[in-house]
Amino acid sequence: MLPKEPLPLQNATNATRNSDIEDNSIKEKNTINRLFGFFGSVKLTVFILSFIAITSVLGTLIKQNAPAEEYLSTYSETIIRIIVLFKLYDIYHAPWFIGAVVVFAINLGVCTFTRFFRKKKGASFSLPDEKTLSNMELSFTLNKDLEGVLLPLIKKSFKKKIYDSDDGLIYEKNPFSKYGVPLIHISIIVILIGSLVGLIWGYKGFVVLHKGDIKEKFLLRGEGTKEMGLGFAIRCKDFNISYYPNGSPKDYVTTVEVIEKGRVILEKDIRVNNPLNYKGLHLYQSSYGVSPLFMFKIDGKEVNLKEHDEYETQGFIMIPIRFDASIHNFGPGVQVAYLDNNGEPKTAWFLRDIPKMKQRNLAGKTVMLEDIKEDLWTGLEVTYDPGVSIVWTGFALLLLGLYINFFVISGRVYIRRLPDALIVAGISIKHKERFRIAFEKIMRGLNGTDPS
Amino acid sequence: MELIHHKILGLATIIYVIILLLHFIYFAFKKEVIFKTIWWVIYINFILHTAGIIFRWIDSYRLDIGHAPLSNLYESLIFFSWCICLMIILMKKRLTYPIITMFSIIGALFFIAYASLSPGVDKGIQPLIPALQSNWLHIHVITCFISYAAFVISFICSILYFVRVDWSIMPDKDTLEEINYKSIMVGFPMLSAGILTGAVWAHYAWGSYWSWDPKETWSLITWIVYALLLHARFVKGWRGNRLALISIIGFFSVMFTYFGVNFLLSGLHSYAV
Repeated sequence: MLPKEPLPLQNATNATRNSDIEDNSIKEKNTINRLFGFFGSVKLTVFILSFIAITSVLGTLIKQNAPAEEYLSTYSETIIRIIVLFKLYDIYHAPWFIGAVVVFAINLGVCTFTRFFRKKKGASFSLPDEKTLSNMELSFTLNKDLEGVLLPLIKKSFKKKIYDSDDGLIYEKNPFSKYGVPLIHISIIVILIGSLVGLIWGYKGFVVLHKGDIKEKFLLRGEGTKEMGLGFAIRCKDFNISYYPNGSPKDYVTTVEVIEKGRVILEKDIRVNNPLNYKGLHLYQSSYGVSPLFMFKIDGKEVNLKEHDEYETQGFIMIPIRFDASIHNFGPGVQVAYLDNNGEPKTAWFLRDIPKMKQRNLAGKTVMLEDIKEDLWTGLEVTYDPGVSIVWTGFALLLLGLYINFFVISGRVYIRRLPDALIVAGISIKHKERFRIAFEKIMRGLNGTDPS
Repeated sequence: MELIHHKILGLATIIYVIILLLHFIYFAFKKEVIFKTIWWVIYINFILHTAGIIFRWIDSYRLDIGHAPLSNLYESLIFFSWCICLMIILMKKRLTYPIITMFSIIGALFFIAYASLSPGVDKGIQPLIPALQSNWLHIHVITCFISYAAFVISFICSILYFVRVDWSIMPDKDTLEEINYKSIMVGFPMLSAGILTGAVWAHYAWGSYWSWDPKETWSLITWIVYALLLHARFVKGWRGNRLALISIIGFFSVMFTYFGVNFLLSGLHSYAV
């Protein structure tokens, strides 16, 4: 993202008020130069950040990734056309939004590079003149002979000497604190790169498991019925929900076994806040549900069917099509579709708790509903995101950068040698108050030795 | 069920009212001793407020559903109020102007009173639902609310910045600007930490460190507003009215992140605040 060699800048990039970037009077502005100037401008930063903020608001006002019917019932035709055109139903993954974030990342990179890392040719620290120094908020004059007392006091907390000449000295406190801002900027770029990696190479999906199920594939999100291999098999050993006395859920636990080549590799309780990590995949406890299991006896033979399971024997076909947990207070029942003797599709209701409605003759077969069992299923979200470790690195760098920038006191002390005295002045841009304390400590140290 | 912590917090609420009245008395008589008293009462009430939170924590263990009181609207309001009080104490050296402490106390009072008095806020201790059973809860909530509290102080200074009354109790504009900026220097890194800890937690709980849930999105918007403010100040050298205005916009964004999202938009954060 960053050019390898420092490029000459045009003046447009010198948006800082106190810009110390040297005046490059470049007459020929080639395209690269202009691009660099464009991407390095603070105006672009303000524009692009405001743009991202405002469009993000839009994303919280328009429901994201809702079913099509919801948009049709909420908005007019024209607005729906706009929503579809700009992908406003999924703003944060719309090409123009990702494009804006990429432009922001480039802008951030160029700005950081030009401001902090471009070597300033011939730039050196210079000592401000007498008037400037004596006008600083923290400043005092000192007897010339006391330089030997002053310097050790300063060196205690201002460890780095950045200027040393006949006319004076400059010492700096915590000079590394100036790397706070570039570190924050770089870490944001790292986070954005990590999220881009996740966006490109990562995927998400879902797997539904009943107790005892073994699955090797999961359903990819947003791609209909497309499935993908896990790379291993998982068996759902158990799924349990526990509740608090007041009835609210306490814990959802799916106990799974990871199986590879027929061998159980590991067993794990997947809980909310405690996913399974295996081979780069994360499996999260995401949802659960109840699906009924219908236990029929067809001509004396036990047949267990789930909803929409098809049962066929000797030309007889039946499918449980609809489950109702309570039909007019008669208890649970199931509607079954079948073909009668003439091949006509018919339906019939079975009620578990009503003896008369438990057993029926369908196309010459005696069908009895013995029981309806509530079969719990657990829904695990499957994610693969190779960018996560990059994002975590970015997070750590960001926290470090924030700490350095906001909580480490920095500042400079200037000492100018005048013919008859020393003038000492200090300045901090970010931490005036706490810097004052450090500066006054020097003054107090001197007061012990200097009655003037 | 009336528990002991309700009584302690009720008393703390009353003392916040007393602190407010003490400010009025100070403005009437301008005696330094009253201002000193105000600070002592603030200290005492902070201890009381802390005790109230600790007792709620203990009460939750008595009910056999022990967890830190940071899990629902009531608890977050109480904690937010506590953070404002904490921020006043931490910034004591700067807050030499009673008008700023007064408005900060009004803020703390507003949130603690809203928690206790609003019929819409359930004061009971609920057990922790599975999504909240994580150690990330504490650090996430603490960093977020400390940042919110810091932004409250920044907001007060920004509003006062626009008040053009030549009154002896009004701090001068430089002081207001300095306090405003200082509180953003605390609020911004804390908000960043709150967003990052939230992202790490979301990775373990929801399967994705960033889901563009409305609360996440609004916290990012808030973060962008304050980032713009810091750059306007340091890069562009903005001062005064314009900076105060951005700070006010930032605070509205904070409040929308906290309340608006919960009341107006639905999302993954709907169980808590």
